[in-house]
Amino acid sequence: MHLKYSARKRAADELKYGHIVERHLEDGDIVLFNRQPSLHRMSIMSHRARVMPWRTLRFNESVCNPYNADFDGDEMNMHVPQTEEARTEALTLMGVQNNLCTPKNGEILVASTQDFITSSFLITRKDTFYDRAAFSLMCSYMGDAMDPVDLPTPALIKPIELWTGKQLFSVLARPHAQMKVFLNLTVLEKNYSKSGETMCPNDGFVYFRNSELICGQLGKATVGNGNKDGLFSVLLRDYNVHAAASCMNRLAKLSARWIGNHGFSIGIDDVQPGELLNQQKKARIDEGYEKCDDLIREHIKGNIELPPGSDSALTLEAEISKVLNNIRETTANVCMKELHWRNSPLIMSQCGSKGSPINISQMIACVGQQSVGGRRAPNGFIDRSLPHFPRKCKTPSAKGFVANSFYSGLTATEFFFHTMGGREGLVDTAVKTADTGYMSRRLIKALEDLSVQYDYTVRNASGGVVQFLYGDDGMDPAKMEGKDGVPLNLERLYMKIRATCPANAHENLSPSEALKKVYERLEKPDISLDGANKFKNSLRDFFEGVTDSLKKTRKFLDLDENNVEKNDPSFLEKIAANVSGISLKQLEVFLDTCIDRYHLKRIEAGAPIGVIGAQSIGEPGTQMTLKTFHFAGVASMNITLGVPRIKEIINGAKNISTPIITAELESKENVTSARIVKGRIEKTVLGEVAKSIKMELTSRQASIVVSLDAERIQALHLSISADSVKRSILQNLKKLKDQHIRTIDGRKIRIFPPETDRNKLHFDLHSLKAMLPKVIVNGISTAERVVISEQKKKYKLLVEGKNLRAVMGTPGVVGCETVSNHITEVEETLGIEAARDRIIYEIQETMKGHGMSIDMRHMMLLADLMTYRGEVLGITRFGIQKMKESVLMLASFEKTADHLFNASFNGRHDNIEGVGGFWFQPPKNTTPRRSTPVNQGNPWQETMTLMSPSLPSGVNYLYGKLVK
Amino acid sequence: MADEDYNDMDMGYEDEPVEADIEEGVEEDVENNNNNNEDIPDPLLGDDEEKEEQKTVQKDRKTSKYMTKYERARILGTRALQISMNAPVMVELEGETDPLEIAMKELRERKIPFTIRRYLPDGSYEDWGVDELIVEDSWKRQVGGD
Repeated sequence: MHLKYSARKRAADELKYGHIVERHLEDGDIVLFNRQPSLHRMSIMSHRARVMPWRTLRFNESVCNPYNADFDGDEMNMHVPQTEEARTEALTLMGVQNNLCTPKNGEILVASTQDFITSSFLITRKDTFYDRAAFSLMCSYMGDAMDPVDLPTPALIKPIELWTGKQLFSVLARPHAQMKVFLNLTVLEKNYSKSGETMCPNDGFVYFRNSELICGQLGKATVGNGNKDGLFSVLLRDYNVHAAASCMNRLAKLSARWIGNHGFSIGIDDVQPGELLNQQKKARIDEGYEKCDDLIREHIKGNIELPPGSDSALTLEAEISKVLNNIRETTANVCMKELHWRNSPLIMSQCGSKGSPINISQMIACVGQQSVGGRRAPNGFIDRSLPHFPRKCKTPSAKGFVANSFYSGLTATEFFFHTMGGREGLVDTAVKTADTGYMSRRLIKALEDLSVQYDYTVRNASGGVVQFLYGDDGMDPAKMEGKDGVPLNLERLYMKIRATCPANAHENLSPSEALKKVYERLEKPDISLDGANKFKNSLRDFFEGVTDSLKKTRKFLDLDENNVEKNDPSFLEKIAANVSGISLKQLEVFLDTCIDRYHLKRIEAGAPIGVIGAQSIGEPGTQMTLKTFHFAGVASMNITLGVPRIKEIINGAKNISTPIITAELESKENVTSARIVKGRIEKTVLGEVAKSIKMELTSRQASIVVSLDAERIQALHLSISADSVKRSILQNLKKLKDQHIRTIDGRKIRIFPPETDRNKLHFDLHSLKAMLPKVIVNGISTAERVVISEQKKKYKLLVEGKNLRAVMGTPGVVGCETVSNHITEVEETLGIEAARDRIIYEIQETMKGHGMSIDMRHMMLLADLMTYRGEVLGITRFGIQKMKESVLMLASFEKTADHLFNASFNGRHDNIEGVGGFWFQPPKNTTPRRSTPVNQGNPWQETMTLMSPSLPSGVNYLYGKLVK
Repeated sequence: MADEDYNDMDMGYEDEPVEADIEEGVEEDVENNNNNNEDIPDPLLGDDEEKEEQKTVQKDRKTSKYMTKYERARILGTRALQISMNAPVMVELEGETDPLEIAMKELRERKIPFTIRRYLPDGSYEDWGVDELIVEDSWKRQVGGD
């Protein structure tokens, strides 16, 4: 019934007992908020509603990130939970406050964005001062003027009181003296000058000490998402969710209001190039074009210098691309240098809120080379890209170099090339959404029923163990503070402890005492859990580092423990203490904090870690640009990367597009020996080492004479002689017998055709001649190419191809350190554990290649699931079929009818244990929640069943008729 | 709503252990400084207590002594439902009306009369009273927007 249109009075009169009256949404109601595509669990979170006029959903910009939302017409959905239980679960498990961090890697996801970062950046600029009125106004912005605020002491007192913008952020972190928040952090901002720490000339070193902003201009690293040591992360970890959330809220309010008054916009004058820039740009472009012309001329003459393994045209392309990229880069540098410091795009790129230097220089200076499929624009017409250019023209402008800027305007051909590049981008996004979507679905289906049990094992629905301890240490990825998924950032914590509880009059510990205390504490039984060893070791190592530095300081001040009795070292003691001392109390506090926090960071029993893992791998996939190839250092070795590579790994593919074996050498520093080993591995055919393969027809006999190219063989360090060639020919061409081949001298072989029939002899001879150049005379038949890669004077071999076993067995190669990126081959050669290790490593590397960090534990779980049956199973319909027993789960994935038919034909049982089966029949004793029978023994003592691994064990499903 | 938020804001920090005066550095307080969770007793002490209590009731329990967030959600939800259906409340209401808030208050004071039965994968189970478990008090100020 709609209250707006019908007669409310009458409706009220007609109310009877038993009618349900639904109320409207009110302020403070708990609602679920969601935006599609729901790629991870933060795509649906619970908020508190505030009913406002008009018809749009509005929310704090800080949650744009988890939803991946913007305001260009996005639509979102809202649901209102109806029972007390649903409300509670929504609030405690799905509340925004409880999902500030992503379980993908523990970075903060709900954080300030865009304008909030820009205004933080502007306010904390070095030269900003506010008088009492302005400063107090801004203080009241951040708490709706309802918060108590203690104004700090003004930075300048005469001639008038002035406060700096940095002080405003001290207020923001800790508005009044009663608030016990002592924020301690250091962050390197984007514009940090890489040295000098607090004295950084760009003011890029952010240092908060006891909630006071000492130095640094805030930017994305401090205040934005995707950082583990940023302001909000530290608040969240050191204090609590509420501290972080309310601080974020203060910043949001302050920044929205402040930037509204201050004004921040882009105008045409922001993108006008200066006189100098125009000159410079012209000079650079002329210079670059000149270089390109030279290169083309050289190419036509055919005397371009070739690196090994590529032809002239390829080299030309590479060289030209290098020159053109150089043009864009140098003009971009000039452009960035020329910009005024108040330039809006510059400000935005500096603080990291939006845009990059490339975007700016494309607007102002030069758009640069457009590429299609990683190359310059292809020839759509005969021998040319567009009919505007002469045939076979390879000049920059004919192949898609855009010399203009967006401001100066593109020429017609430039514009067309730009659209070509643009279309590729569009096609890529369209294709990859489908690809990654399907990948995500398969991952979810494979991992959906894995969860942590009360004994910390990870099991699937039927109770099969996948991991004995989640991630080998039982830690929750969402709560990891340190880099690479370690539980704590000890350095930061140590700094905080030293700042918040100063040692002052208390005795400092000597290095050995401190170390002894640490060891004692670590012996206590409360940290003897499974998997705690790694943590203990990290603590121990950290303290050994700390005491070492203390020792060094003391030594420097002549305070060795051996000669303490020297007269009056007290002032020196003090110095040592101030530099790197630690008091007993500090040490105890530090250790207890670490250990307490460690305990709180364990994964909780019941966590649906499978789904979380699947989402954590699937979601970054959608962000990966579909750039397939990547040049790895030397001699253009292509490696599949991005979504296709992830797909290969996850599918457990038997044939991958770029199998590469990385072989370590016994003598790592010697190029010659590397070349010799390379010669042993690389496939060499007779055609490559033969000077000539000729037919000799005399009146009496016909034969083929092969003469070997001794110089070439020598140069390539191959071990080939006429005899070895004879042997390999015999092996390869079975119809030839020993008597048919005769070695004349060291480098000549005469081969007689085995055919005796005179009529066929000629054909035989020709077919033999055609086959001979393809005979493999040296190396491993599957090793197509071997490249010597050099890193810091250390050489290793990259073998393009398969057959890991043969490469490992090659003399000169260290077999134990030789690895392949081909998972199934590793499994066949080295076994299942090695394969598991490779899966983890390969996924991690691929993700890293796209600048994405994912917690190891997710990959471990995936790898364990793929290997726990003893063979590598792909996450495909075939692999999943082998992983799971539940027919209903399989039917809910793919080939539904087939699975159901087979199951009913064979009379199979399904206990409906996992979530997959629940699609067909929800478990009886849990839904609807309201009807859960209360244990009536003692009415106020209720026993609840939580996390039973076999929840609906009463319900058995039998398919079709019972056969028998 | 917003006003409420901010009036209550200090509440969030109320249970924050008292910070030592930076200049004076009183140790007893300092120790608590970073230990946000007052409810966590000395882990060692906790262990002993449990054993003594449980010897009569049950043999050693091996699951974690921390309440998981899933347990907390379930308990609060069930309790809030009971309270909304007129169950006697175990704490002073102090004007509180929202069932969920009352349930949270009860949990904070460990007055929820539930036992959690934790099933291990082999089908055996352990019973833990809600009052025995350590609750991470992250619920502070999550309720009460109205």
